[in-house]
Amino acid sequence: MSLDLSKVAAQVGEMVARLRDGSRERQRRLDYAVGVLHEKAAALDPLKKKVAASRTTWLVAGLVEGLDRKYKAAPLLAEFTVLATDGSHIDVDRHRSARCYLINIGIVLLRYGASPDAVLDSFPHLYAGDEDLVIAPAQSTGREQLIEGNLLGIKRSVDECRHLAGMAAEIGTGSLALALLDGSLVLWGLEAYPEFVTEELLTGGFLTCLDDMKKLNSSRKIALASYISYPRSADVVNVLRVALCPQDPLDTDRHCRECTQRRCEEVSGVVDRELFARVLEAGERSALFTSQSSVVRKYYGEHWINFFYLNVGDEIARVEIPQWVARDGDLLNLTHTLVIDQCQRGQGYPVALSEAHEQAVVTMVDRENFWQVVDSLMVEEHLPTPTSAKSQSKRTRWV
Amino acid sequence: MDKTERVGEVIEVSTAEFVTQCYELYQPPPLGSLVKTADMPVEVYGIVYYASTGSLEPGRRPIARGKDEASEEAVYQQSPQLLKLLRTEFNTLVVGYREDGRLYHHLPSRPARIHGFVYQCHPDEVREFSESFDFLSTLISTGLPVSNEEITSAALRQMSLVQEDPRAFLVAAGKELAVLLGSDFNRLRAILRRIATA
Repeated sequence: MSLDLSKVAAQVGEMVARLRDGSRERQRRLDYAVGVLHEKAAALDPLKKKVAASRTTWLVAGLVEGLDRKYKAAPLLAEFTVLATDGSHIDVDRHRSARCYLINIGIVLLRYGASPDAVLDSFPHLYAGDEDLVIAPAQSTGREQLIEGNLLGIKRSVDECRHLAGMAAEIGTGSLALALLDGSLVLWGLEAYPEFVTEELLTGGFLTCLDDMKKLNSSRKIALASYISYPRSADVVNVLRVALCPQDPLDTDRHCRECTQRRCEEVSGVVDRELFARVLEAGERSALFTSQSSVVRKYYGEHWINFFYLNVGDEIARVEIPQWVARDGDLLNLTHTLVIDQCQRGQGYPVALSEAHEQAVVTMVDRENFWQVVDSLMVEEHLPTPTSAKSQSKRTRWV
Repeated sequence: MDKTERVGEVIEVSTAEFVTQCYELYQPPPLGSLVKTADMPVEVYGIVYYASTGSLEPGRRPIARGKDEASEEAVYQQSPQLLKLLRTEFNTLVVGYREDGRLYHHLPSRPARIHGFVYQCHPDEVREFSESFDFLSTLISTGLPVSNEEITSAALRQMSLVQEDPRAFLVAAGKELAVLLGSDFNRLRAILRRIATA
């Protein structure tokens, strides 16, 4: 029996009614937040100090410049290149006959100008060796970590970045290019794993690729950025919460429990994209902010993640860039202009990322076909292909 | 143009026809032209009866892009990926084959191969193939998505281009058709009208 929608419909109705009832209150909070944004922008230095000194359980953006600063995009260049990668994977399935996973990386190179050109390709890689399936500590201390689920997602991000850096290295000297990744440049999930995992995937993987791309800038201009569509982050709204709080500096663990005023609640529930939808005109970007994520603070160093919000016309996107892009005016402008241009060419979403996704995507049918190939080759080699009774039961349904 | 040019690769095949993906977008051989693909020692000959260009992936339809562009060329300039996402295909009706150097004007014992290279036939080969009109019965009788009269006349027009005396060739073909379509004057007339302008 599949999902009985008639039983769900009433619950959906209740959810929608709740959303409708809350919409006026949300609107009021958003109006208030926009007012606070402009008001607090005037006194940047004290707020900057307060944010830096405060300790919060929620993520608060680091301040670089006036909160409500906004910038128009520089004119489009005549000749430029856009690179992008995206990935998809088939996770380890313990119910299947072989323990393995597959990462498929889609790459895209789009050259614009007098001699336009495009490269679209995909690189599927099967990982099945003992050393591929776990990350083991260098010393014998610590438990090895299985690469599956969230950890496989992080490994895939590293592979996407590695392919991007590889493509960037092939770009001719003197070129102007934007290298784009999908999602965040902050590998959040690593916080849940032991140090040696971070060492391998972040320090020895992702950040090394960022190093490589930074170095390429000695002979060409390559800006690295990641693009987050419909972001749900509230780092900047959280700055407003700190600003509204009478405590200075604020320590949420200590102060919030005894706080009765709850002034910060006046903006709670608002997210950054809603705030900047009120501030930015089409094509404009927000001020720069810095990520204060613990993984960034601890490991990213010269690649410290900065971000800005961008009105791409159809929505507010979040663009993350390493510090060396943020501090180089040319690279920053290149990022802003080319992301806007990519969105215009791509019906509201960067065309290079959209095509990279198309190259990378692994559909449900692909997954089934993949496992069929695995099973049939194993059968050819007269290897046993045991599968779990649960998996069999799902595939062979009976009454 | 080099008439033995390799134009594409077989992507779908059956006893009676094969579908070829062109290497160059929008560059299928002309309608009615003679092409061949080989599964050695057999070379399979076919007549192009249909060509189409569309999205490489069935689920992704092209969208209109040129509203703000000055020219059609600019649409492709501004979206360089398009050339990689579209493909041109053509369908070919099998009309004969060559084995051990001998030419036959009927279906081979087995179809060609997927990924077989497809070549546009050299004028000498077209002349040799068209020495016999036996292929005409296949052209006028096979069910096709376009009218048989259109395809038959297109094939004859193409073949006439490489004959020493194109007119004599078309007259001879007309006589052969008169025999084949003796009881169907309207179809005969439709073909004759279409080749009379060649």
